[in-house]
Amino acid sequence: MIYVENLRKEFKKTIKEPGIKGSLKSFFKPKKEIIAAVKDISFEVNEGEILGFIGPNGAGKSTVIKMLTGILSPTSGSCSINGKNPQKDRKQYVKEIGVVFGQRTQLWWDLPLTETYTVLKEIYEVDDSRFKKRMEFLNEVLELEGFIKSPVRTLSLGQRMRADIAASLLHSPKVLFLDEPTIGLDVVVKDNIRKAIAKINAEENTTVILTTHDLEDIETLSKRIVMIDKGSKVFDGKIADLKEKYGQMRELAFVSSDENALDILSYAEKFGLEGDDLFAESDGASFKVRFNSSIVPVSDMLSYTLSKINVKDINVKDADIEEIIRRLYKEGVQNG
Amino acid sequence: MFREIKRALKMHRIFIVQELKRFMEYKGDFITGAIGLLLAQLCSIIFISVIFSQIPTLVGWSFNEVMFIYGFSLIPKAVDHLFFDNLWAVGHFIVRKGDFDKYLTRPINPLFHVMAEKFQVDAFGELVMGIVLLSCSLPSLDIEYSFMKILLTIVVVIFASFIYTGIKIGTSAIAFWTKRSGNIIFMFYMVNDFVKYPIDIYNNVVRSVLTYIIPFAFTAYFPALYFITGENPLFNIGMTIVVAIVVMTIGVLIWNRGIKAYESAGS
Repeated sequence: MIYVENLRKEFKKTIKEPGIKGSLKSFFKPKKEIIAAVKDISFEVNEGEILGFIGPNGAGKSTVIKMLTGILSPTSGSCSINGKNPQKDRKQYVKEIGVVFGQRTQLWWDLPLTETYTVLKEIYEVDDSRFKKRMEFLNEVLELEGFIKSPVRTLSLGQRMRADIAASLLHSPKVLFLDEPTIGLDVVVKDNIRKAIAKINAEENTTVILTTHDLEDIETLSKRIVMIDKGSKVFDGKIADLKEKYGQMRELAFVSSDENALDILSYAEKFGLEGDDLFAESDGASFKVRFNSSIVPVSDMLSYTLSKINVKDINVKDADIEEIIRRLYKEGVQNG
Repeated sequence: MFREIKRALKMHRIFIVQELKRFMEYKGDFITGAIGLLLAQLCSIIFISVIFSQIPTLVGWSFNEVMFIYGFSLIPKAVDHLFFDNLWAVGHFIVRKGDFDKYLTRPINPLFHVMAEKFQVDAFGELVMGIVLLSCSLPSLDIEYSFMKILLTIVVVIFASFIYTGIKIGTSAIAFWTKRSGNIIFMFYMVNDFVKYPIDIYNNVVRSVLTYIIPFAFTAYFPALYFITGENPLFNIGMTIVVAIVVMTIGVLIWNRGIKAYESAGS
C-alpha cells in the first residue's frame, strides 16, 4: 500500500550571527548550511493499517508527512502510495488521500461550515447522491449537526478539528494523513475524535498515518508505530514489542502512615539503582517509585517495601508507553 | 482540454459565488474598500484637472485625451484586481506561513486555485471610475465607432489585464525562494501609476522601462493611442496581445519552478 524507501529531505539554511551586525553580514555574504531534516527513512504500511508516527518536536515527522502528501519534493529516495508517486501524479494522487494538519485548517473561515463541504464536493468531483450519503455518514461519526450552519470562525477548536477531519474524508480517500489531530483538545473531545478515526478505519478500511504527541492516541488507535528522531528511524514495530524491549520501567504507588517513608526505605542504596533506573517522589502520606524491573523484580521491590514500612494502599502501574518514549527520546539516535 | 476548461470555469464560478457570500457577511468593509479606491482615483483626477486649468495641452495631449488614457488604464487594472487579487497574499503570507500546503493537497491546479479563490469586490471602485472617465471623455474625442472597435476593446482589456496578472504571478512566485515577496510585487505593481498618463511626457529611460522592461505601457497608453488616433493597430493592439502572452508565460514559468522550491513551514 505505502512504500517509503530511503526518503531524504535536505534544507538549505542561512546561518545568521546574532545582532544587527550579524544580520547585515549574512545579507551581503550569506553563509549557507545544508541540514538534513529527514535522513534516508524507509518503512511500509499495509492497507487498512493505522500507523502511529511519533518522535520529539523537530524530529522530521511533518516533513515526512509533507513528502508523502506531495507538498514537498524529496531530495532523494522515493515513496509510492497505491502505486502512485505523490510528486509526479499529484492531481490524480491527491484524490485518493485525505490530509489534516491539526495546526491549520482548510475550512472557509468566514462562511458557514456547510459552504466548505459544498465547495470541496466540486473540487473533488463528488456526485450529488454520493455527497448526500457521505455527509450523513460523517455527520453521524463526527457529530457535525450542532454547528454545521455556524460560520467557521465561531467554532471551538474541538468542533473545528472534527469539521476538518470530515472535510478530509468527504471524497472517501483510501489513505488518511492526520498530523496532530488532537493537539490542544480536551480529554472528552480527544476521545470522540479517536473513536471517529477508529470507526472510519474499521468501516471503510481506510489506511491511517497518524502523528501525535499524545501517546494515548497511539495506544488506543494503532498496533504499530514508527518512531523517528533527528531525521532517522529509531523504532519500527508493534507497541507490544516496544513495551517488551524498553518497557521495564514499573511504577509502584504506596499510601503509608510513615511520614518519611522514602528516607527509611532509601531504595538507591538498597538496590544499587541510579540515574534513569530509579525515580522516587513523595507527597505527604503517599509516595511513588519508578524503577527498572529488569534490575530489580517487582516482587522484590514490593516485599522489601512492605517489610520496612506500614503500607495502607498499593497501586501497581503497567509499563506505560509514555515512560518508554521518554526514555527513548532521551537516548536518542544511539539506538538507530 | 475542453473538459478541463469547462471544469475550470465552473470552479471559478463556484469560488466567486463563495466570495459573494463572504461579501454579504462583511458588507460594510467591502463597501468602504470600494469607496476608498474610488476616492483615491478622484484625487488624482482633480489634480490633473487643476494642471489643465493652467495649461491648454500637455505635450500635445488635451485634457480629454489624458482622461481617456487615465480611464482606460484603470479598467484592465480593475479586472486583474477583481479576479486575481489573492496573488498578493501569496507574496505576503500564504507561502511564508506554510498555508500553501492546502493548495498542493487538492486535485486542481494550485495556481488556478489560489488565483480564483478571491474575488476582490473593492475593485469595482476602480472599474466604475474607469468606465465613468471613458464615457465622459469619449464624446469630445473624434472617435469613429464600429462593432469591430468595441470587440477590439474587450479583447485588448482582457490581454492588458493579463499583463498585470502575469507580473503578479512572477513576482509573487519569488516568495517560494525568499519566503516573502510582497514588497517586490508592490514595487513592480506601483510602476503602473506612470501609465495613467501618456508616456511621451516622460524621458527616454522611463519610457523604455515602461515599454520593454515592465511593459505596463501596453495596458493603457498603446491601446488607448490606437482608439484615439486610429493609427498603427498592428503595433498598438497586436503588441499588447504579444506582450501579454510573453509576460504571462514568463510568470507561469517562474511559478512552476517556484513550486518545486516550496519548503512549507514547520508545524
